[in-house]
Amino acid sequence: MNLNPSLAFSDPLSAEDQIAETNLTDDDILEAMREIPGYLDITTSDFRALYHLAHRHAVDRLFSDITAGRLMRREVRPLTPDTPLAEAIPSFVRQDLKSLPVVDGQRRVLGILTETDVLRGLGAETFLALLARVIADAKCIKSEQHHRPVCELMTAPVVSVPLDAGMRELLAAFSRHAGRAMPVLTNDGRLAGLLPRKVFLNACHPDRRP
Amino acid sequence: MRLRPSGLKSYLGKMRGSTHGSPPRVRLPEVLWSWAGAFLGITAVGWLNQRFFADADLTLTIGSIGASAVLVFGAVRSPLAQPRNLIGGHVLSALVGVTCWQWLGGDPWLTQSVAVATAIALMHLTRTLHPPGGATALIAVIGSDQVHAMGYLFVLIPATLGPLVLLAVALLVNNIPAARRYPEFWL
Repeated sequence: MNLNPSLAFSDPLSAEDQIAETNLTDDDILEAMREIPGYLDITTSDFRALYHLAHRHAVDRLFSDITAGRLMRREVRPLTPDTPLAEAIPSFVRQDLKSLPVVDGQRRVLGILTETDVLRGLGAETFLALLARVIADAKCIKSEQHHRPVCELMTAPVVSVPLDAGMRELLAAFSRHAGRAMPVLTNDGRLAGLLPRKVFLNACHPDRRP
Repeated sequence: MRLRPSGLKSYLGKMRGSTHGSPPRVRLPEVLWSWAGAFLGITAVGWLNQRFFADADLTLTIGSIGASAVLVFGAVRSPLAQPRNLIGGHVLSALVGVTCWQWLGGDPWLTQSVAVATAIALMHLTRTLHPPGGATALIAVIGSDQVHAMGYLFVLIPATLGPLVLLAVALLVNNIPAARRYPEFWL
């Protein structure tokens, strides 16, 4: 990710940068400067700015191998807008996914159908809410929903990322919505794959990195 | 040019400063080594001046050498104190100063400000920023008739030779104590 230096100081700090900032007090910096013999003609804010930017570069370098294209699942079979819900649900189960992109004839992503969308269509907000009602009254599922097409229930517009999206872009995209997976698009906007949040988190885990 | 859009309040707020206090005071051995280095450096320049240049209507000791000594012996690690900056800053600024005097000499205040401002800009562009260079450029303009009479010789003596002598002393003295090294970089 390119960092625009003129924005670096006015941008609100990201959570990860704030952690680095709050760990470092003026006293820490002054104490470190005392430990280095000789006069250092920098101020504590010079040091803080350098540290802050260098830290960003280090993080970018450490996680430079994380791109959406490298982590995504390619073998995803997307839904089409007119797929009835009754066919969409088995497709989730077969692919062991909890959300599936919905594409048109040119594989352009129109939306994403998530487990939550399906549950809402069936008249429940969450799986547990549904379960509670199943236990109380077996007829609670709105069975007439089964033939509704996917496009009536799906989440759209969808938050998606390009193939070359790096860690920062992926973090920002995942934090913008509650979905468990994100469609990855080619440069011309067609579906390239699906990036599950779990896969992304595993790739970010510092202890599992080479 | 891009100014911050946040207005007068933040403009004035900047004048309060952004950090709490200046960098810490250096330890006593540092002070002593700075003193010793500057003493020997200015001794070398002054002695050479007296021995070889006093009679020749030339001068090796100009005010800006004292300013360079502050950096070279007092802030050894500073990028501003490195050889590239020490020599480059003085030479470029002297060139600018002499040129300004010869082209714009008729209007003293304008010549002075153009000389110093242009010297700073050139030092920036060539990565040779050295604060005493500004003094060298100014001296070339406001200097004595003797300085003016030297023309571009001023660039060589004192503006190149003086810093070279200081550089030699800095290399010898600043590398004696374990805690010091000089330079951090040459070019």
